[in-house]
Amino acid sequence: MDGNGRLLAIGPTDNTSHQRTPRQPLRLIPAAARESFAPYSRLQPGLLPQEADMTRLAPDLPRAEGTPIEVTGTVRDENGRPLRGVLLEIWNANTHGRYGHAEDHSGLKLDPYFLGLGRVLTGDDGSYRFWTIRPGAYLARPDIDRWRPKHIHLSLRGGGARLITQMYFAGDPHNDRDPMRILMGDAFERNIGKEYAPAHGDVAGGYRFDIVVGGRNATMFED
Amino acid sequence: MHRRQSGKPDRPRLKPHGPGADSRAEGLAESTGKRFNQSPSSMGECVSESQNAPLPATNEDTCGPYFPIPFCDGDRMDLVQPHFALVNRAGGRPIILRGRFLDLYGDLAAGVLVEFWQANAAGLYRTPATAGHPDIDPWFDGYARCRASDGRFELRTVMPGGTVSQGMARAPHITLTLFSDGIARIVTQVFFAGEAGNDTDPLLLSLPEPMRERLIARHDGRRGDGAEVYQIDIVMAGEGETPFFDDLSS
Repeated sequence: MDGNGRLLAIGPTDNTSHQRTPRQPLRLIPAAARESFAPYSRLQPGLLPQEADMTRLAPDLPRAEGTPIEVTGTVRDENGRPLRGVLLEIWNANTHGRYGHAEDHSGLKLDPYFLGLGRVLTGDDGSYRFWTIRPGAYLARPDIDRWRPKHIHLSLRGGGARLITQMYFAGDPHNDRDPMRILMGDAFERNIGKEYAPAHGDVAGGYRFDIVVGGRNATMFED
Repeated sequence: MHRRQSGKPDRPRLKPHGPGADSRAEGLAESTGKRFNQSPSSMGECVSESQNAPLPATNEDTCGPYFPIPFCDGDRMDLVQPHFALVNRAGGRPIILRGRFLDLYGDLAAGVLVEFWQANAAGLYRTPATAGHPDIDPWFDGYARCRASDGRFELRTVMPGGTVSQGMARAPHITLTLFSDGIARIVTQVFFAGEAGNDTDPLLLSLPEPMRERLIARHDGRRGDGAEVYQIDIVMAGEGETPFFDDLSS
């Protein structure tokens, strides 16, 4: 069987993309093997509701530096079916653009009150909500003055659905030179959080990010 | 067994939110939630909602270099012994799959997030479709993951049984899903040298003959704790590139 699938593009000015992007087109999967390419993820127990609030480490500690924001949205498959019980793992840089990750050697300012990690499950209607600090942009390539725009990482896993993506912010001056944004072209619009004014007063801004998990895997284990 | 992540500070209870928060957000989503067709010609034009028109998928994106290690729950890489304090074991022939992720220049690709998915020793995937099947192993769910910080991984598992799909026999295999800085999700499958069915497996046969061996883990002659050791190199780009598969177009 031949017939080629997608040819993955290399992100411009992205060294890692150059080093790691397969050069051959992806290969189509024969029908008899297709189902084996749909890993099924079982619900993860043990989540605490407070893991959805990334703006504080603990109730008796001050809020993290920067602008607290709310992010809400739904997770659906391409048919519009809400995906319930999907685990969202969320991570973003602090207001200065620094990750708490042991391998972030940027030297940017750490915020001792910001962990930068959160987890939440989607509800029966596929909706989710979490709170975080609006991340800072950071200089990713000092040699060519290329910044990474503000972004929040989201990893989704549940049933046959699997997606890792990023939510970006409209109007960030660094959006236009971002390698992955360039590869997305006009479809970048789908990855921008739509701003709204939250009805309650304890966050400074809200962003609506509705997520659609593409492909057949998300629909393979409808329950 | 899923273990709760440890070492994470207690989190505050969420403040109560008025019902207004939801309705406000939904109203705005309706006014801004334009649907875009995926074809470039109609990009940017608002299309009417239809039962048949698929929603445009959110773009997959790189996980970047800083996928949080704590999310891996200390790596979930032993599918034989689900918990160190439990005597229960997965049934079957224990194996160790050791691998390396290599980049265009043959260097180890550090920081790859890799997920594994396989059938149990009896050849059954643990999915809703097999619920209640007598050959489901209660101590095996077939899902592992780790962040390969230095570009290597070691998975302790059992040899997957051969499966049957659409009337065709599949050789024992493990599905690998890779995420890394610089790329979005890519997927492939790993087979095992000497196992029955490799010469008739429909996925292996879909590849040009010289490419097949790139998906076959080699028994390296060693045993670790009674488990046979297999080795595989996953070449992400360039010469000797591992075949990767398209699960969005297939």
